[in-house]
Amino acid sequence: MANLFEYDSDREKQSAARAKALEALLITKGIITDKTVDQVLDFFETRMGPFNGAKIVARAWMDPDFKQKLVEDTPAAIEELGLGDFMAGAEGEHMRAVANEPGVHNIIICTLCSCYPWPVLGLPPYWYKDPAFRSRAAREPRAVLKEFGVDVPEEVHVKLWDSSAQIRWFVIPERPEGTEGMSEEELAALVTPESMMGVALAKAA
Amino acid sequence: MKLQHHLGGLEAVGPVSTDIRVFVEDWETRIFGIHSAMMALSTQLDLPETPSSFRTIWTWADLRKGAEAMNPFEYFKYRYYEKWLGGISGYFIENDYITEEELDALTEEYLADPDKPLPEVNVAPIDERVIQYLTVGDSPKRDVTVSYDFEAGDKVVVADPPSVAHSRVPGFMRGLTCEVEKVYDGAYVYLCDIEEDGIGPAMPCYTVGVSADEIWPNNVEPNVTVFADLYAGYLKSPEYA
Repeated sequence: MANLFEYDSDREKQSAARAKALEALLITKGIITDKTVDQVLDFFETRMGPFNGAKIVARAWMDPDFKQKLVEDTPAAIEELGLGDFMAGAEGEHMRAVANEPGVHNIIICTLCSCYPWPVLGLPPYWYKDPAFRSRAAREPRAVLKEFGVDVPEEVHVKLWDSSAQIRWFVIPERPEGTEGMSEEELAALVTPESMMGVALAKAA
Repeated sequence: MKLQHHLGGLEAVGPVSTDIRVFVEDWETRIFGIHSAMMALSTQLDLPETPSSFRTIWTWADLRKGAEAMNPFEYFKYRYYEKWLGGISGYFIENDYITEEELDALTEEYLADPDKPLPEVNVAPIDERVIQYLTVGDSPKRDVTVSYDFEAGDKVVVADPPSVAHSRVPGFMRGLTCEVEKVYDGAYVYLCDIEEDGIGPAMPCYTVGVSADEIWPNNVEPNVTVFADLYAGYLKSPEYA
């Protein structure tokens, strides 16, 4: 079996050439255009991305009524913010938010694949797609969080949400201490994708 | 039994990745973009026709089936987008859009000259449909009347269907008695019909929860609850389980 895990030295070069060859053939055969892929990537740079999630969480920290609505009826709360007509689009058709609070820490996983709330957070980072994370997070979440530099004591109830059907989940992290005077925009800058998946805490800079 | 259905709980896999990058090589962005375009041009969607020659269905289920069909050791060997590159190239070959020979030949050309430009073809309606798909999505919710066998707080038993090409039951939940946390309004289809597995037609969806200690007795951290979203086809009343 050792052979199976050998890493060809030109593995990345081969993949890059094959991906470009595939894209070129799809363009030549009239399936996509020479702009299609760039346009998709631009969509995730400028429209669907973690900058939306950061604004949603910052508003929830500022406005307890909004936070409650975000937990009870996530799509309706998000729509109120007017972030764009794509906020219930691909991989965000049905979303649900869960809130961290004293004594409760939430983590989002997808043990079967990599379901992720695109409109709110964009595309999933490598740690989320990692088979080791997907194997370990449910059975030993605190050990996993420690590897991310987060300590969650045993008396805190850890809730794991496995994205196995229609819902795409995200976490409303707790507002960090020492942020009382901050504006909504300043608060949004403290919200990372990892804090919205439960493997980091939001921290005052 | 497929390892890919049973990742949750697997031990001794080493430290987790803490890499927060979405893509680790530039080429990965290209295969992601191609996948998104296929999703958008897939023929089951109710979106405007385009001149694209894409004439088949491509959904997440196709990508997942490919990953679930892999040799499990290769599943661990290949990075996320390497699996996509293999699965998507294979799909275009199997469906006679391209041949393996022409893909191999062109790959050699780009290996020899990585900066050789892509061909230029401009067909605006194709690109418009891709953005339309990303904007409106593809909700599985259907406006049909269904009955709900369970309500929040009920005990349910998770099915253990035979191992087939594709499943949406996390392996560690199979056969467990759980509690319904939430009943979702409406009915939900799955992207493809997986008859023996139990999902496909419009049916209710539930979130169910169970203490992690019930899943892995005496071999788990304390004070952990695991929730999963499950289609009604996977749930039975304890009386009939």
